[in-house]
Amino acid sequence: MQKERKWFKPLFEFNDSSPPKKTKKNNPERKPSTNEKQLKVPIANIPSNINDKNWIKNFDPINVEDLAVHNKKIQEVNEWLKTTCVNSNNDMLFLSGPVGSGKTATIRTIASKYNIKISEWITPLDIEYPSEFGDYEFKESQSKKFLDFIINSANFTSLLDNNSCKLVLVEDFPNAFLRSPSEFIDILQQYKQRAKSPIVFICSDSHTDNKNTAFHLFSPSLKEQFNIHQIMFNSVSVTGLKAALKRAADIISKKYTTTYNVPTVDLIESVVNSSGGDIRSAILNLHFASLKGSVVNLETSIIKEKEVKNKTSRKKNTASNKFMSLGKDQTVSILHGVGRVLNPKEISTPDGRKSLSHAPKDVIEQFLSHPSSFINFLEENYLPHFSCINDVDKAASTLSEGDCMLAEWREKICQEYGLYTAVAGLMIANKSPVSAWNPVRGPKNMRIQYPSLNELPLLEPNYLYKGKVIVTDYLTYTKIIGS
Amino acid sequence: MSLWVDKHRPRDLMKLDYHKDQALRLKNLVQQSDFPHLLVYGPSGAGKKTRIMCLLRELYGSGAERLRQETMHFTTPSNKKIEIMTVSSNYHIEVNPTDVGIHDRVVIMDLVKNVAQTHQIDSSGQREFKVVILNEVDDLTKDAQHALRRTMEKYVTTCRLILIANSISRVIPAIRSRCLTIRVPAPTETEIASVLHAVCKKEGLSLPSELAMRIAKCADRNLRRALLMCESCKVQQYPFTPDQKVPEPDWQIYIRDTASLALSEQSPKKLGEVRQKLYELIIHGIPPDIIFAGLLKELVRNCDMAMKCQVANHAAQFEHRMRLGNKPIFHLEAFVAKFMAIYKKFVEESLGDAF
Repeated sequence: MQKERKWFKPLFEFNDSSPPKKTKKNNPERKPSTNEKQLKVPIANIPSNINDKNWIKNFDPINVEDLAVHNKKIQEVNEWLKTTCVNSNNDMLFLSGPVGSGKTATIRTIASKYNIKISEWITPLDIEYPSEFGDYEFKESQSKKFLDFIINSANFTSLLDNNSCKLVLVEDFPNAFLRSPSEFIDILQQYKQRAKSPIVFICSDSHTDNKNTAFHLFSPSLKEQFNIHQIMFNSVSVTGLKAALKRAADIISKKYTTTYNVPTVDLIESVVNSSGGDIRSAILNLHFASLKGSVVNLETSIIKEKEVKNKTSRKKNTASNKFMSLGKDQTVSILHGVGRVLNPKEISTPDGRKSLSHAPKDVIEQFLSHPSSFINFLEENYLPHFSCINDVDKAASTLSEGDCMLAEWREKICQEYGLYTAVAGLMIANKSPVSAWNPVRGPKNMRIQYPSLNELPLLEPNYLYKGKVIVTDYLTYTKIIGS
Repeated sequence: MSLWVDKHRPRDLMKLDYHKDQALRLKNLVQQSDFPHLLVYGPSGAGKKTRIMCLLRELYGSGAERLRQETMHFTTPSNKKIEIMTVSSNYHIEVNPTDVGIHDRVVIMDLVKNVAQTHQIDSSGQREFKVVILNEVDDLTKDAQHALRRTMEKYVTTCRLILIANSISRVIPAIRSRCLTIRVPAPTETEIASVLHAVCKKEGLSLPSELAMRIAKCADRNLRRALLMCESCKVQQYPFTPDQKVPEPDWQIYIRDTASLALSEQSPKKLGEVRQKLYELIIHGIPPDIIFAGLLKELVRNCDMAMKCQVANHAAQFEHRMRLGNKPIFHLEAFVAKFMAIYKKFVEESLGDAF
């Protein structure tokens, strides 16, 4: 046992910036990056001129002004932190937003501004060690550990700290809660009763509903019950990204010229364009794009990036905003996609031909959710955009064709064809669009509700009626006969 | 008080009111010791189920009429729990596999397996097999139909299947060939009228023959509907008069309203209203093919022959696509849009001719 513990321990000592006492506080996200760095440095033959092992920390925001997040959001978080920490009550805050929108950074920066100590929960690994007798020792459940942790860190200060305000941060939700959200409610109740510090939950949005923690755990009723304040972050705006990258470029030119080439404006531009509003990936891309390298494989990747950059800048001239990206693929949310299809914009190319600003092919490629759900959205919303019935006729026909193809689920390719048919048909059919604001409506639930036998007392109880027949034949007449 | 439809349902093959020759043949079929799987098809309200129940009675005696309801539970391969209502006697079990939508395959396989694996306890003087009645076989998914084919062969010694369908065009050929297919045509209007007379006589009422003919006409050769109509006529007004109002099913009125909406104005806005009405119809469970037929009938009422042909052609096309596709509303709407476009063109041209 002793031995194993010792063997295990050094893993946690990489991070010299956090106090060694709280092992749980170690952020496992950083481990790969440190390992990576260790690997990379010898290969690249760069003298170790990066002092911090966590190079991405070089660019971490220090002051509130450095944050790439919109000012209003920062203010909102600021207000909340100020009021709750000063009163030191146990309020709850829930931050949601897409990945890389600066949720954690905002909390950390503002907390450091007010000198608030953050204790973050990291779900420990579930590794079971057999005892000397070969059986497994009793382990407390994840949720119990979680509860202990948040309450302890909310109520007790460490000896090493000066007696400042405290804040509990939960970003890494224990899996137990995903399975049984009711447990989470219990824990919140306990926290509400016993803890004395505010707690902040951070959740990234995801497109798939069943894995969406924000949606799953933080139901509206829960938020109401515990009076949880929610702040929704949007992805970082282009100007915000530019400012942040400019700051990073400044830091590079001041401190790290040996490691990096000082990024040019063009390069920053293409990084901004390829990151899709994700500040973390933007910094990563910047790091990658501006690394100085003498070793072959690094150089090729830089050339690659240059190609990318050329492509993006060339494409930009043709006023298209689809970029080949180094970092993230551009994705389109369902509502955005519906908007693009139903309000097609035509642009004329220099040689006099007209083309669509978003080609149907691009729209469906960037699209994440299931084809049939997208088509349902389109069909629910396309009518108000049309002014002429002849155009509607064409559009409706293509939708019907699309539906036919989507029904063929055995052929994967048919899904794409169906989607393409419907999308292209809708975009081309509308010759005289109505330009008005039309809110996007969700598709109607088409589940058929057959009347139950209890509603129709005249029917024989022990006879198997078909739903269709009840509706088409019995329903009208049993009403008349029964009255 | 039970409905006339149920009360006066013939219980014996020899007491059926029409298709008497067929009834005799069925009786002979049963009197042999064994019979093959059956596929009984015909339009709604033609008397398929009545004939099958008579057949069961012939097979097992009055024990087949002691029915009980049961809810059965199944688990799909994806671990979803589904439940389905069944009606059974000691000798047979009946289900609507389409009630569970796309999981119908599981129901068919498990149910038939369950039934087939339990042998009759008291086999003396009994048949050696049980009967499974499956309704709406033509609406089964292809998957379920293929599963059915396998099960039919496998358990032929211990159970017989009686499949009921409206049309065999959507039943896969493999199943068709494994069954004795029996067609039950819809009764003619005179046959319906005579049934109505007989029923009224049993109830001690006098029915004018004009009214009987009118009801038979309204009922669309559907005997069930005719009997229901007749009974509600009686509730509304008795003694009968030859020209009294025959109540129509309310969805028919609703479809007529929808059609007149499409005729009144041809614009995307109107189409939006039509769509809402179509939604209503679908959600209330009116089968989309009936909506198609109803709409077509109402829409072409005022059209000339050339246009009628054109519209019917499109209706057929979209109805076919609807069968292939998933979402009936898409195709219904596309059909109405197509009709609006054609009709608008027609109206504009005829206006142009007038000036």
